[in-house]
Amino acid sequence: MCQYWWSFTLCTVVTFQFAFTFLFQQQERGAEAVSHNQNQTHQRWCLSEFHKLSRKIQGGIPPLVDHAQSELTVVYNTCLCSAALSQLSEAELLLSQATERVIQMTGDDPISSDPPAFWRTLLKSVGNTTFNSSVQHLLCLQWALWLAKCQLKTIQEFQDELFSLSETLSTELGDDKRSSERGKSSDIPLLVMDPRRLIELLQTCTFIAQGAERLSEGQSSEALSGLQKASSLPAPRMLLAYTHHLSGCCLASMSCPQMALQCYRKAVETDSRCVCALYQSLLIYRELGNTQAEIQALRLLHSSLLLPSATEPPLAGAALLSPSVLLCSQSLNRLLSVPSALSVLHSLAQKCVLYGRVSEGVEYYLDLLAALHSDDQHGVHEDPPLPRLPELYLEAGAALLTARRPADCMALCDEVVGTTLELLPEKLVLEEPEETSEIETGAVGAEGEDRMRMLLWTGAAYLLQGHCHTHLRDWKQAVTHYTRCINLLVKVHFKKKGDADMVGKQGTNLCILQRLKGLSLAGRGISFSQTDQLREALRDLHLSLQAAPDCVGAGLWCGEVLWRLGRRQEAAACWEKTWSFTAQSSVEGLRLYLQEPQTGPLLDSTELQHRIQELGPTLSA
Amino acid sequence: ILILFAVLQFPGPVSDLVESHDKQVLFAACMSGVYCVIQSSLADASSSPSELKISSEFLLVPEEGVLSLLLVGSVLLTLSQRDTSWILTLYNCPKQSASSSCESLTSFSLPLVSSVVQDDDEGKTGVRRRPVLICVCSGDATPLPSSSTSSSEVTLTDRHIRLEPVLFKLLFGVDAALAKSPVILCGLPDGCLCFLPVRLAGSRPRVLHNLEQPVVFVGASAVMKMGLGHAQCLVAVGELGRVVLIKTDKGGPEGGGNTAGFTERCVPGPVVCGCVDKNCLYYSTGSDLLRLDLNEETSSKTDAARQSPTSLSVCRVVALAEPAHNPAGEVELLGLSVRGQIQRITLPLEKEDTGLSKMPSTQVGRSVRDLLSAIGDVCDRASMLKTGIKSKNQILKHLNQVLNISFLLVAGTNSEENLIRCHATTKWSRLLQKDSLNLTCVLDNSSPYVLEHGWTLSVTVFPLSYPPSAGGESPSTNFSFPFHSLPAGESLEVSLPLAAAGVASFPMTVSCSLIFSLSSLLGEEAANFKGLQCSCISLPLNTLTVDWLHALQVSSPIDAQKMATSQCNNTATDTIQTFLNSRRIKCSGRGEGGGENASKPKREQFSASVRVLSELVRDMLVVKSSDEDPQGPKLALQNVHVSLLEWLLSEGFGGVRTGHQGDKMSRSVIHARGPNGHTVKLTAKESVGKEESLTTVEVQVESSSIAAVCGLHHAMLRRVQRAASTKSIRSLGLRRALQRAEVTTKHLFLFSFIYLPAVSSK
Repeated sequence: MCQYWWSFTLCTVVTFQFAFTFLFQQQERGAEAVSHNQNQTHQRWCLSEFHKLSRKIQGGIPPLVDHAQSELTVVYNTCLCSAALSQLSEAELLLSQATERVIQMTGDDPISSDPPAFWRTLLKSVGNTTFNSSVQHLLCLQWALWLAKCQLKTIQEFQDELFSLSETLSTELGDDKRSSERGKSSDIPLLVMDPRRLIELLQTCTFIAQGAERLSEGQSSEALSGLQKASSLPAPRMLLAYTHHLSGCCLASMSCPQMALQCYRKAVETDSRCVCALYQSLLIYRELGNTQAEIQALRLLHSSLLLPSATEPPLAGAALLSPSVLLCSQSLNRLLSVPSALSVLHSLAQKCVLYGRVSEGVEYYLDLLAALHSDDQHGVHEDPPLPRLPELYLEAGAALLTARRPADCMALCDEVVGTTLELLPEKLVLEEPEETSEIETGAVGAEGEDRMRMLLWTGAAYLLQGHCHTHLRDWKQAVTHYTRCINLLVKVHFKKKGDADMVGKQGTNLCILQRLKGLSLAGRGISFSQTDQLREALRDLHLSLQAAPDCVGAGLWCGEVLWRLGRRQEAAACWEKTWSFTAQSSVEGLRLYLQEPQTGPLLDSTELQHRIQELGPTLSA
Repeated sequence: ILILFAVLQFPGPVSDLVESHDKQVLFAACMSGVYCVIQSSLADASSSPSELKISSEFLLVPEEGVLSLLLVGSVLLTLSQRDTSWILTLYNCPKQSASSSCESLTSFSLPLVSSVVQDDDEGKTGVRRRPVLICVCSGDATPLPSSSTSSSEVTLTDRHIRLEPVLFKLLFGVDAALAKSPVILCGLPDGCLCFLPVRLAGSRPRVLHNLEQPVVFVGASAVMKMGLGHAQCLVAVGELGRVVLIKTDKGGPEGGGNTAGFTERCVPGPVVCGCVDKNCLYYSTGSDLLRLDLNEETSSKTDAARQSPTSLSVCRVVALAEPAHNPAGEVELLGLSVRGQIQRITLPLEKEDTGLSKMPSTQVGRSVRDLLSAIGDVCDRASMLKTGIKSKNQILKHLNQVLNISFLLVAGTNSEENLIRCHATTKWSRLLQKDSLNLTCVLDNSSPYVLEHGWTLSVTVFPLSYPPSAGGESPSTNFSFPFHSLPAGESLEVSLPLAAAGVASFPMTVSCSLIFSLSSLLGEEAANFKGLQCSCISLPLNTLTVDWLHALQVSSPIDAQKMATSQCNNTATDTIQTFLNSRRIKCSGRGEGGGENASKPKREQFSASVRVLSELVRDMLVVKSSDEDPQGPKLALQNVHVSLLEWLLSEGFGGVRTGHQGDKMSRSVIHARGPNGHTVKLTAKESVGKEESLTTVEVQVESSSIAAVCGLHHAMLRRVQRAASTKSIRSLGLRRALQRAEVTTKHLFLFSFIYLPAVSSK
């Protein structure tokens, strides 16, 4: 019997050593940028070997105190590997089997099922045995499992004992060291991960998870204090950055934007891959209205997202257990989420064009389109979704026009028109739906909805082409394209559903429709005015103002045409009215291609003021 | 010729195989993962097929349970089934061979619709159905850059389809079209037809259609032969035989432009595998290979469901490769049989007759119309010929009748008992104060034949003697009466004016004949021929004689008296008559020696008498009466002279009767007016001679006109003669006949005797 056991132990240890060395070899190779995928397969292989081993032990050896330490070590290793591969339930089963055997070894009565109480009594009962430390290791694993399963309440209850573990273990480690120094041939099996590292990791992660949970529950200050504690603990870079980031989030929610920005900066400084901090700081800049800083942040965010390692969860040094396994609560994920590189690029481009960096913005738009056409776009899910592709084309077109590249703009518009033209309906009834969630998915909605969109896109493309021709001072072509746009728009019949001020709601199809109508009519009116067809010009401009009263160009040109027709008082009134509108109108929410063109013939407001003043005496006289 | 090149042995059953675009790399999906074999590594095999055991060193993707593969550019797609979902994973395929493993790009999970999958026998066999994966590109998109060095070599294999741009946009959205992204079309065993644009940011798999039965095949067909190599139609086939055709519908509902049209058809299943070429879907049911013409569907949607596929009589085919056309134009299919044999199936060219059945419906309609009108023409012609024959038959029958009648008449001209004959009645009528004698002529048809259309009754009237003023020619009058039809046993009555009072001279001969015109026989066409118009057959009937007795206007007794008085008193009114009379008196007076005074108003009377033996008269009358009236003999016997007179006036002599038969003139003296206007007095009396047997009846004619006296006398003589000659032979015995001969001579004697004194004097 004794002989048998010895050979068995030898055999297991040999097997174990083999598995162990293999694993470590792998980890070394993991440092040499072996793909995540491959790493996992090797972990999987190790795990299966550990499993075989633990099954052999549990099936072949009676629960005896003599072998407890090696047995529990095997369990620790197996469980850790399982957890690292996110096989949590398997790990938990293994753990509960192991604790049962421990109870059998100590010969105690079965204890309560409440986990903290269970562990307390267990620890007490094994207090003076040789395998005390091994049981404590198992407790660490239990902690990890609780964390991974987001059982923060349990951890909370047991927090003091857990946190004290580090101290007890560090003293034991000293003993271990001594013993290992003493006898190199010790046959106590090695551990795949140092329990002290594990506890450090667990502590930080617990703070982070708790902080995120509290933050989401609105307890920002409490969360902050916990996170402050965590930031002082020794932890991997990434986790440290997370603590800074979360502190920033807390401060932001406590409306301390500047302090929050400081925290975000610290987070990025700590770990350059902490893109979520960049993103959050950009949100704060946006809130503060600091567009230049926002653009800067966007640019930074985009370039860091393009870094190869940015999106993949990085391996925390040589640690077997990745923090991502432990940090999986939803509230935390929400705080750490970052939009995709493409949507960042889109916002960057949009912001640049809107805030005067047109040429830069154009370049970003072209980058975006190129990226969308590149081979390595493989349906990565965007959250928030990008605008539909034709809209991006149109925005890029508008940007190009603003950058005075009408030929490129026309090419893009041609592409949109070419794609949609064959699918356009002859007639369309627009029923403004109640608040639906179709924007959220960005998917093709109802067929009619999609058709409506297509019609609007085509109309916008014609409008942009009209603008291009206006820019080139080719009035005839401009009129042609504006007319095409108008002809398309009048195919839509609006069916009212009660709510009268639907037009006011930005982003609705009706709003876009009216805006397009206003702009195209204004454009045509201006073109007519350039070819001295003043009567037609006046008619179109009036219609334009009816469709979109806040259209500045239409208002000013309407006055100009009236002036040329000799109706000076009316002209003056028209100008005054337009200026009064200009103050309150906001075009922020509108897409680029629905903005008024900056490239057409312009009227100098001061000159107009001058005229009104000249008119003044005659008016009074 | 198919050459077996190499044998590869994989560690488990292979569920799908895919070749790279340059045909250098082979991907195989096993239960344990996707393996990758470079074909150049097999090239070292010499003549015999090399055997290669595929071990884990060839493992490319260690994903378990991959069911289907698809290679799009450098992206390898795998589709596998987890418990309740389909997992579609995209792997970035390494550019250089299979040395390193693939990198997973993204993964999508599609919920599994269990209702269809559960009820099949998948669990029993343990073999999972393979989902269908194909790649669809828009027709105007540039070809995919492949992993191979030159992209120009890229050929579209059976799993890559170029679709017509409009249909592509309709099905997969504008965004996919703008991004020029290929679309993965995925037919799942749960019946879902899903699609996923590959190179579109933020795209997710979406359901295109649900077949509600395991999808067996998805392909594309150029149903309308106009595309530039773009498929016009997507075809999806379900296991139970549902075929879905997806095409562009021009001008959708409410004028809404183009829409994607989904047409469902059903073929008898189960469908094991299928493939499609330009117009046809070929599919195997395991027991037969069938061809379904997709083109015919366009003709009419209603009978599309009933459209049945044609059998090609190839059984046990479990897999089919894309059809190819060999130089001869025949379709060649490569099929794999259940037993693992690769078969090349060559379909015969469609023959002309099958081509005929494939004519477009309009042409079919036209040809049917042509046939119908041809049938109509034939029918018309047949009926025309039939009527022609019928009319000819009619004409022949008619002609037969005519000939019969002709023979009858020719044979019967001499005999009295002609079956077709005329008899006539004279009648005086007064029209516009002018008396005229009308002859009513009756044609009796007692023959068994019908006198049909085309016959004309011709009546010619001419006087027996005529005055020399007529120029030696008989002043005959011809009347013709065409009639339509005279059936056997009926008679035709025609009336004709014989003479006005005082104009004609009697006796007159009325000669009847029947004329048949040939032109009437032949109808209207013949009427155009001038020569035919006068060609006719004239067949004489009988000849009637109208004599003085027929032409008498017998006055009633009162009239006679009146007339007698008026003739005396009415001298002043009729001076011309008086003048004429006086002239005649003078003449006669001179003729008789001129002893008479011219101023004598009393007109000179001429008289003549006929004496006939009473016995003879009696015989005549008895014979006559016994024919007609049983009471006649008695009456006749009592007053022989009266009867004789009556008989003379009423007897239908020569087929002619007088119109005043009705009133019995039981008188011995009859006053009448002759046709020339002169009054005539007929007196009959019986005189007993010396011998009993020689009792005679004397009929005396008295008139102032000698023409009347002569005419009447002649008429009476003729009648008596005829009656005596015909009736005596029949009624009397041989002994009497001898005696009568004597009497007859006596008669003759008597006649001459009587006549002469009558002319000489009174």
